[in-house]
Amino acid sequence: MSVEPVSCTIKSPVALQIGDTVSDLSRPGVYITDITLAEPVNIQEISFKNYYTAYLTVRVQQREDGSVKWVTCLRNHCLMANPHAEAGSHDYFSIYRQQDTEWDVPAWLSTLTPVETSLDLKGLPDPETVSSSIQQMWALTEIMQASQNAASIGRFDVDGSYDVKLLSYM
Amino acid sequence: MAEKRRSGPVMSDPKAAKCETDHEFLSQSGVSALLRGALLKLVESRSEDPIGFLAEHFGHLSSEVDDGGSENLTVSRSLWHLSLSHHSQRSAFNNNVRVAYELLTQSAPRRRRTGGVRGVVYTEVLRCLCSEGGLSGASAAPLLQCIQCHDYEAVPFELFRQGVLTCSVFADYIRKSQCLYAAVARAPDRPAERALCQAVLATLQEALETADGPDVARYLEASAKISPAKLAQAMAEARPPSQQQEGPTMDAQEFEDAAAALFIARVRKVT
Repeated sequence: MSVEPVSCTIKSPVALQIGDTVSDLSRPGVYITDITLAEPVNIQEISFKNYYTAYLTVRVQQREDGSVKWVTCLRNHCLMANPHAEAGSHDYFSIYRQQDTEWDVPAWLSTLTPVETSLDLKGLPDPETVSSSIQQMWALTEIMQASQNAASIGRFDVDGSYDVKLLSYM
Repeated sequence: MAEKRRSGPVMSDPKAAKCETDHEFLSQSGVSALLRGALLKLVESRSEDPIGFLAEHFGHLSSEVDDGGSENLTVSRSLWHLSLSHHSQRSAFNNNVRVAYELLTQSAPRRRRTGGVRGVVYTEVLRCLCSEGGLSGASAAPLLQCIQCHDYEAVPFELFRQGVLTCSVFADYIRKSQCLYAAVARAPDRPAERALCQAVLATLQEALETADGPDVARYLEASAKISPAKLAQAMAEARPPSQQQEGPTMDAQEFEDAAAALFIARVRKVT
């Protein structure tokens, strides 16, 4: 499937601020840029060059069976890691249709016991004490393993008889 | 005690002469540096018996000055250095390991002074470390089998440090496993239930087997597996509250051996 550019009209950015535009002199933090397409089309990709925008939200107006609704495709997508620094301020960006802004939730997170379920601990050892000891045992094993990774076991020198310059037939 | 006399021009002012002599005497003989070193060692070790510690320290120093101490004496001196700080005091521990290593390499006869500490001496040091750490011969044997080396081999510094650290950490680990058994048993005169012991050790094993990856992610995942909630769940599943009768038990030694096996399985065998 080839990707072709679509002609569109890009309006100049409008500041989003509360109050009267004329009397309120403070500079706003949010600007809205309207992009109008000549005809409805399935957008696959949006490419642009950034100019000091830190976060981007994309909303799309969808037309379904005569009704019109606004859908948020992308919310607060980070373009600049630090809004007050230069990184990313002039970069080129491409946003794709399948953009996944959610980070992968590790599998083990879902196995955590929910706080609400109360377990019957009558007659069982105190989990806090047991957990504390096990955590320390785990940490000690980690210390040992970490020291092993750092050290490289070199060749053993067999008591001076293995000297390159001096062959010993002992 | 014979007093050392300075040979030199006699000063006209007796009082000033005495001060200069005292000050110069201290710096010349190196006593101020000696005392500074001794105090530093004392502070590092936080000994409960400061005077005894200082006596031992100076005793060792004076015997080190007399060259040609027996090998046993060198081993005991190096063990003393290794006992000065806990392995968690990282920089102090590393310093003491270095001092002990130098002692052991310098004590060897001149013609054999290559490559590092002699294997037989290294093995002896590790064995003594384990017993000083409270480990019985039987407990320490499987670990020593992994990390000791042949009598004739020479041990470089990094390997020496690693072996010493492993023994110290293992001693702490066994002590912790004894605390763990006591917690699972809930009463000092009763053995712990086998099902609970196995459940608890299984959670530790699972945490240890957390897959390799970025350190932070690995720590988070492992700690989630051994959180109090997870352990409560594991123990409740192993021994349901509805079960009235107590099941078979596991004695302390068997528990300790099983815990030790988990640690030793992760010790890299020295080849």
